[in-house]
Amino acid sequence: MNRKIGKALVVGAGIGGIRAALDLAETGYGVTLIDRAGHIGGILSQLDFQFPTNGCGMCKMLPLVERDASSQFCLRKGLFHDNIDIRLATQVASIKGQPGHFTVTLRQTPSGVDPQRCVGCGMCQAVCPVEAPEDFNAGLSVRKAIYLPVPHSLPNTYVIDGSACNGCGECKKVCPTEAIDLAVGRWGRFRILVVDDEMIVRESLRDTLIEEGFTVETAESGASAMEMLAAESFDLMLTDIKMPGMDGVELITAAKAAHPDLCVLMMTAYATVETAVEAMKIGALDYLVKPFDPDVLIPMVVKIYDAFQAAADYKLEVGAIVLCGGTGFFDPAQGKNTYGYGINPHVLTSLEFERLLSGTGPTGGRLIRPHDGRPVAKIGWLQCVGSRDLQVEADYCSSACCMFALKEAMLAKERAGGDLDAAVFYMDMRTFNKPFERYRLKAETQHGIRFEKGRVHSVTTDAATGSPVIRYVALNGDEHVETFDLLVLAVGQRPPAGTQQLAEMAGLAVNSWGFIDTLAFHPACTAARGIAVGGSFSGLKDISEAVIQASAAALESSRVIHASGGSLALEPSSTPTFRDVSRQPPTVLIGVCTCQNRLDAAMAPRALKALLGADPAGDEILLVDGLCTAAGWDKLEAHLAGGQTNRLLIGVCHPYLFGRKFRELGRRCELDPALMDAVQIWNVEPASVPAQSRSPFRADLSPLRMGLARVKKSEPKPVADVSVVRSALVVGGGIAGMTAALSIADHGFPVVLVEKEGVLGGNLRWIQRTAGGADPQGLLAETVQQVEKHPHIRVRCGNRVTASWGEVGRFTTAVENAEAAVETIEHGVTVLATGGREAPTRSYGYGASVRIVTHKELETKLASGELNPGALNCVVMIQCVDSREEPRNYCSRICCTASMKHALHLKEKNPQVSIYVFYRDIMTYGFNERYFTEARRAGVIFIPYEPAGKPVVADGPGGDGGGLLRVTAMDPILGRPIEVEADLVVLATGVVPELPFDLSNAFGAETDTDGFFAEAEFKWRPVDGLKEGVFACGLALSPRSIPESIATACAAAQRCLRILSHEKLPAAKVVATVRQSLCSLCERCIETCPYHARSLGPDRDKVLVNVAMCQGCGDCATVCPNSASVLLSFSDSQMLDVIDAALDRV
Amino acid sequence: MNDFEPTIVAFFCNWCTYTAADLAGTSRLSYPSNIKIVRVMCTGMVDPKYVIKSFLEGADGVLISGCNPGDCHYINGNFKARRRIKLLKEILAQFGFQPERLRLTWIGASDGIRFAEIMREMTAQIKSLGPNEGRLKMVI
Repeated sequence: MNRKIGKALVVGAGIGGIRAALDLAETGYGVTLIDRAGHIGGILSQLDFQFPTNGCGMCKMLPLVERDASSQFCLRKGLFHDNIDIRLATQVASIKGQPGHFTVTLRQTPSGVDPQRCVGCGMCQAVCPVEAPEDFNAGLSVRKAIYLPVPHSLPNTYVIDGSACNGCGECKKVCPTEAIDLAVGRWGRFRILVVDDEMIVRESLRDTLIEEGFTVETAESGASAMEMLAAESFDLMLTDIKMPGMDGVELITAAKAAHPDLCVLMMTAYATVETAVEAMKIGALDYLVKPFDPDVLIPMVVKIYDAFQAAADYKLEVGAIVLCGGTGFFDPAQGKNTYGYGINPHVLTSLEFERLLSGTGPTGGRLIRPHDGRPVAKIGWLQCVGSRDLQVEADYCSSACCMFALKEAMLAKERAGGDLDAAVFYMDMRTFNKPFERYRLKAETQHGIRFEKGRVHSVTTDAATGSPVIRYVALNGDEHVETFDLLVLAVGQRPPAGTQQLAEMAGLAVNSWGFIDTLAFHPACTAARGIAVGGSFSGLKDISEAVIQASAAALESSRVIHASGGSLALEPSSTPTFRDVSRQPPTVLIGVCTCQNRLDAAMAPRALKALLGADPAGDEILLVDGLCTAAGWDKLEAHLAGGQTNRLLIGVCHPYLFGRKFRELGRRCELDPALMDAVQIWNVEPASVPAQSRSPFRADLSPLRMGLARVKKSEPKPVADVSVVRSALVVGGGIAGMTAALSIADHGFPVVLVEKEGVLGGNLRWIQRTAGGADPQGLLAETVQQVEKHPHIRVRCGNRVTASWGEVGRFTTAVENAEAAVETIEHGVTVLATGGREAPTRSYGYGASVRIVTHKELETKLASGELNPGALNCVVMIQCVDSREEPRNYCSRICCTASMKHALHLKEKNPQVSIYVFYRDIMTYGFNERYFTEARRAGVIFIPYEPAGKPVVADGPGGDGGGLLRVTAMDPILGRPIEVEADLVVLATGVVPELPFDLSNAFGAETDTDGFFAEAEFKWRPVDGLKEGVFACGLALSPRSIPESIATACAAAQRCLRILSHEKLPAAKVVATVRQSLCSLCERCIETCPYHARSLGPDRDKVLVNVAMCQGCGDCATVCPNSASVLLSFSDSQMLDVIDAALDRV
Repeated sequence: MNDFEPTIVAFFCNWCTYTAADLAGTSRLSYPSNIKIVRVMCTGMVDPKYVIKSFLEGADGVLISGCNPGDCHYINGNFKARRRIKLLKEILAQFGFQPERLRLTWIGASDGIRFAEIMREMTAQIKSLGPNEGRLKMVI
């Protein structure tokens, strides 16, 4: 592996953190991924279903290239990667240094259970008498004080909730591996000894310290203190000076002599400079004056604790830091609490409701009321709780809650079998991402979700049933009262706890609501270079956006590490060499974990012989007491290295944990890890087995036989043969294309940038200002200059791509210039940044009058001075022109904010102008909401309309297209038609992509129904094409603002770097091959491969597999009529033997 | 007939159902031990011949389970499996095996409870069908 010199720290192991860490790790950097929780996955560990597919698919984030470096199982279960060091229950204590060279201190919170020893048997949990609300189920269920933070995650280490634990010690008694240390509380293992001859002082001191959570023992004399110090370890001693017998000074001298690491605080009633000096001389850190003031004592002890703890802190040198701290949520119980959250038990938050739908949730996925278990027939979702609400200082939208509510409503409908009345009470349904509008339509038409526009004022309780009752006023002014079985509050985003501290530590600014501030045009960059922000940390995002942002943050980090020197230098190749075992008969070393002698050592060899004996390959059996321990593993390694066996099979409790160990073992013993396998022989006893039963585990040896059948026929991993042309082609020279080109070229890889127009810049050329007041023209000039001067970028303006062949690693593309001269370019990856344009329209009389303009025309005319805001009396803006309805049934997401921008600009230049905005749903998501607020404050009038009753634009007084226009519409609030005489009508026509079919087709990319680039997966691979090596960004991908386009460009560049950083793309052990002698060239495998990994060879005489593109699904092997297509590690012959073994037929 | 303990071969996809099986285990749920689990990468790689082989070698039932529709790690492997298994069920009788002995389900990674339920259901169903006698009748 070409591991680069350079390391990064990723803070937060939610979806964003995982994406950023994987991106950097796949590019070859070493990554430390930390999370303050005891598990990875962040909030996604609690969400089983995600919109818009209403399924999961998190595993699709796992590496596609060099798959074997990472775990290959459900990502909810866990993550392992050779280049990622995951540290859980860990937080940043300090950040020092400069970009490229940061020193970070990490502090781990002790959990009370030693992760090295805990085997996850759960016996402790069974005996624990204390119950506490379970965070994993949002507090809807209870767990014990010792518990698994996430039931399905690996490593499955139990933790102790220090605030709930009563210290009874029952768990310690039953723990079979002695993993529990109850002394570990809030202050870790820090133990204090108080020495004083006066009982009252001793005890009051002890009580004060215990109240703070410290572990305290007392001694009444110097002699007994010395005895206690000898018997147990202490970290701090508080001692009196004047004591009968051995006095304080003698005690300190003796204690420091015997225990040099002991910290000492001296206590005295008569503090003088002399006593203090004397105490310091003999080793006391400080002194306390009696009687004590707890306010002095506790900080002094905490200070000593911090110094003590700092010694255990972990220091890390990194080049860059990615902050993926996720998001926090509004607590609806705070403030006036008009929705009665916490008062009426049938009012839940969206996260609580989500847990009701989960199979691992409090009801096991049954849709019942969690409080009283009664059936549910009617549920209401109340949107914007703690968002878009000036009263709780939240002048922002939380962006994801509308879709979240639709998803929950649809899932609830499915669970209830259609008999459910599901209503969503909303202000604007913000379905602003590409597939979301159709999702809403599906919710409305197919699932029958009821949409009620309006904000619910308050919730009361029905006295008879206890059900929540809402009162709301519909748009037409009618008042309604409705009773629901459950109400779900869409709680809005808040900065997660600790944001402020982290921002101070890293030197970052926060915005007016406490979220991390990012640069105007670079949403992943902060003012502090080298510290990037990914995921939802700078504002809540849906998965797709969070993943894009995380990849962009990874790119920015990579750029800083690279720029600070040497990061792209390849280390001398350390490809492991494996011995050739292909001509040897298979002999398998079978390592069986006896799990601390739980397997009857006398019986086991005979039982195993009986089980496996018929197979000569399985002759070598090694019983190991604890394969999970270092000693056990060493024993296995010694046996494997010294013996003659050429395969390895182990029987353990968690096969998942051994992937990385196999690779290390293979390297040392020169045995290909593809020839090793692990099976599960130890299972946790089901709960139905009485707790008194002695063993926590039950052995089932039969999987060993199946494992043996498979591993003995396993074959070595094929050699990597996909070499990479380490350069990129970027098609499109707008801001997205230029950014992608710069991002790749900054890492030293050559880039060709093809633009069909004569100049660079694309749409950015006509955008004069943004709603936030940033300067797009400055950005344009700066970016063009950087691109044109970049030594690694060749710009081809006025050129177009005519054809392309090839696949990841090697594309050959023909580019034609204006004179029809063709240039052939070889490149390893392709970025499609072909952009989009303002949609043309014929609606609302466009073209009939110069007074009817589009957004682009308005912007251009204002800039050229052709339009004078001072001369306008009345302006009408119409939103969603031809969009959000078939055939263009998507939201273009930028038009609402653009309308706010223009309205505010016109109002600023001419406060007298009347502005009317006709809209369907205002999509000022995220922090754009403030422009909507500002516009309303500035006096802009917003009038909703339905697609069935669109406004009508006609010639007004003056006639002939040159005069005023008359706009008529139905005002649903007034309940009658209105008429406006406008001297300007502005149409928000939205965005259409410019990605011609022949261009996308040339690169094997697909387009969606609206002509945008079709992602491999909307959520998990949002900038990748299904065919590896082709990526898209900017408007060709989906409608986006300038900073959002830049984020996609950085993300696409990061996805390219992952490939370009390899000289050859390695194969994985589970990969398809072709037995050419059996192949009849029917091409069914080529047709069925979902990854386009198969093709006909250049002479059309054989089928080739690109081992880097093949993901090992095995579908090709199933469709092959001649068994010529084989999935290594799962060949037919292996599978048939496994079936035999499963049925005792061997 | 009640003391008949069937043998069921279960092909579980590596991504979803295998994880659900593991979750059922770690959640200490009990399910019948009649199920012999064979891990496959995807339900799309379950060749019909594996199913027939299982019946021929003495399986009383065969269960195939993968990711929920739309969630397949390999994009559409489970849909391919669905088509393939439907066709296989049509011809299974010609081999002398009742099609009811073969079942295809979707169990997501976090559905440990559903997993245990389906294992119980499947075992009960095969129990009611009795031992697979197709194999004995077959003369090859």
